[in-house]
Amino acid sequence: MVESSKTRREAIKTATGGVAAALACLSIPDFVFPGQNQDEELVPFLDMPRTPPNRLDWETLDSWITPQDQVFSVQHYGTPDVDHAAFQLELAGRIDHPRTFSLDQLKSLPVKEQLMTLECSGNGASKGFMNAVYNGNWRGTPLAPILKECGLQADAREVVFFGFDNNVETLREGTDRELSVPVPFGRSMSLDDAMNLNLLLAYERNGKPLEKRNGAPLRLIVPGWYGIANIKWLKRIEVRDSRYMGRFMGRDYVTVRGHRNEGEVEFVETSVSRMNLKSIVARITTRSRNKDAVLKSYGAAWDDGTGISKVQIQVDGGEWQDAKLDEAPRAPFSWVFFSRELGALKPGKHRVVSRAIDVNGRIQPSAQEDEIALKKTYWEAYQQWPREIDVAG
Amino acid sequence: MKYVLEKHSQGLVSILTLAYAILALSRPCLATSSEQKPNASQRCGNQTGVVEGTVVYRADKQRPWRYARYYVNKRDRGQLAESVVVIRVDSREPQLAEKRAPVIVDQRNFQFTPETIAIRVGDRVKFLNNDKGIHNVHSRHLRHTFNISIPSGGEHTERFMYAGGIRRPYRIGCVYHSAMRSWIFVFNHPHYQVTKANGHFSLDKIPPGEYMLEMVHPAGKLSWSQKIKVRPGRITSIDIVVSPDNRTEKRLRE
Repeated sequence: MVESSKTRREAIKTATGGVAAALACLSIPDFVFPGQNQDEELVPFLDMPRTPPNRLDWETLDSWITPQDQVFSVQHYGTPDVDHAAFQLELAGRIDHPRTFSLDQLKSLPVKEQLMTLECSGNGASKGFMNAVYNGNWRGTPLAPILKECGLQADAREVVFFGFDNNVETLREGTDRELSVPVPFGRSMSLDDAMNLNLLLAYERNGKPLEKRNGAPLRLIVPGWYGIANIKWLKRIEVRDSRYMGRFMGRDYVTVRGHRNEGEVEFVETSVSRMNLKSIVARITTRSRNKDAVLKSYGAAWDDGTGISKVQIQVDGGEWQDAKLDEAPRAPFSWVFFSRELGALKPGKHRVVSRAIDVNGRIQPSAQEDEIALKKTYWEAYQQWPREIDVAG
Repeated sequence: MKYVLEKHSQGLVSILTLAYAILALSRPCLATSSEQKPNASQRCGNQTGVVEGTVVYRADKQRPWRYARYYVNKRDRGQLAESVVVIRVDSREPQLAEKRAPVIVDQRNFQFTPETIAIRVGDRVKFLNNDKGIHNVHSRHLRHTFNISIPSGGEHTERFMYAGGIRRPYRIGCVYHSAMRSWIFVFNHPHYQVTKANGHFSLDKIPPGEYMLEMVHPAGKLSWSQKIKVRPGRITSIDIVVSPDNRTEKRLRE
C-alpha cells in the first residue's frame, strides 16, 4: 500500500546538480559562437541534415582558418600507417638524378607557407555532402626546385604522384580480358603544372604536423586544384614521358559534360583538376531592430586563384544585390567571406541564394544552366545552392 | 459552539500550514499540492518506485558545443534532447520484450530520423528510405553486423537480440553517405528513456534498491552517472546537469 505521504517526494539533488540546477534555471546558458553577434539568432535552413564532426559546420562558421575538428577526410584505399622515422620520399623516372628524401631532409630545404582552400570535388553534389571544404595554412617545401635539381630530361612530360595507400584494381571486369593488378593510389599532372612554384610538399598545417587522416607525414599541395589532386601519404614522385591513366585520372573523378553544338549536345570527358568558381550562403541570422526582425546572410566564396570580383545575393527570385566582401583576411587561393543584410522578410518561407563573379566576368551558374544541367557526373558541383528558410511571425 | 469549532478549525489549519511550510523549507523538493501527480500511486505501485527529472546542458562560452543547436531547443533552461537515461540493471538474463510494433527510423534529407533510439532486446527496427536516392544501413557491432542497401521508397527490418546497454550501442551508418549516423541502444530491461525536447525523463515501476542512474548523449559525447536509491511508493526526483566537463572523447564501444 502506498503511504499516505505518497505525494511527498524524496528529492535527491546531486552534489553539484542541486545548486547548479537552480543556477541553470536562473542564468541564461551562452550558446552564441565567437563569429556570431550576441543579439543574433540563427535561422536554421529547412530540410538540411545535421552537420557531423570532422566536417565544416557552415552555420557556426566563425574562423577564416578552419579548425582541425571541422576538416574532412576522404580516402579510397584506406588510411595507411606510415612509419615517419623510416619515411623516404622517392623521386624517379625521366630525371638525371633519382634520389630519396627523409622527412628531416625535406624539412631542411627552403620553407614556404601556402594559404589555400581545399575542396573535395564532390562537395555540393547533394545536401548530404555539403561540408567537404576547409581553409588552411600549409607549410612545406616547394616542389619545383626539387624537380629541377633532379635534372629533368628532355622527354619529361608528365609527373605522377603516388601514395602509400594501395589496392587491387580490376579492369574490364566480367569479360574475357578481365585484369586485376595491385596499384598504389596515383594522380598526375603535366610537367608545366608540376613546375608551378605554388606546389608544395607539405608536412604541417596551421603550425601542427599533419594528422594521419589528412595525409601525414607528407602531402602534395596544389593550390587551386580540387582535393583529389592533393595527394595524401605521398610516397613517390615519378617523372614520365607518357601520360599516366590510373583509375583516378581516367575512370573516376572524370567529369562528363555536354556542350551544345549546332543544336546537338556533344559530351566530353575531362579529368577533375582545377577548382571552379563557387559561393554558398553559410548561415542566416535574425536580430530585432526597432521591433522588426532583420535578417542577414553570411557566406564564403572561392575559386582556383583567378580572383573573386563580387558576390551577389538573391531573395525569392528578386534582383541580385551585391554582398559585402570581407577586406581581410584575403589570400589568392583562399576563400573570401561575405555578408549582406536581407532586410525585414515577411513571416513564411523564403529562398536565399548567392552567386560569385570572378575578375574575368565568369558567373557561378545555377543548376538549370547548361553548364551544370548538361553535366552528367556529380564531381565539380559548383552550382548556386539556394537556401530555404522559414521566418517566424 | 459552532464559532468555537470554526475558530479551532482555523487555528488547526494555520498550524498545519505553518508545519507544512517548515517542512517544505527543510526539504526543498517536498511536493506541494500543486506538484501532486494524479496518477502517482499508479506510477509507483506498492512495491516499486519512480525516478524522474530533467537533463540540462549548461553551456560554456569558452568551450562552445557547435551542435548544441540540434539538441538544446530552449536556451534559457538548456533542456537536452536525445539523451539516453537508464537505471543500470546488472542482469545476465535478458528480459525479452513482448513482440511489439517495430520502431521506425527514416532516412530523409540524408539524415537518420530519429538519430538516437533505445529499444528492448528482441525489438525490431524498421529502416525506411524516403529520400530520392539510394541509402544503406550498416552496423559493425561486435555481436551483430549487417550491411543492407535500401532503394528510394524501400525499407528493411532488423531484429536486435544483443543488449549492449548504455556502453555498447549499435552505431548505424550509410556506406554511400558517410556523414549519416544513428545510434541504437538495446537494453534487456524496461528502465530506460530517450529524452525529448523538454529534456524530461520518467522511469516507472523500478524495484526498490540502490542503483546507478546513467545518462549518455552519443552525439555530444556526454556521459554522467550517479548512485540513487529507489524506495517503494516514492518518486525520486533528480535533475541531471551536464556541461563540457562531462564530455568524453572515448567513442562508445560497438
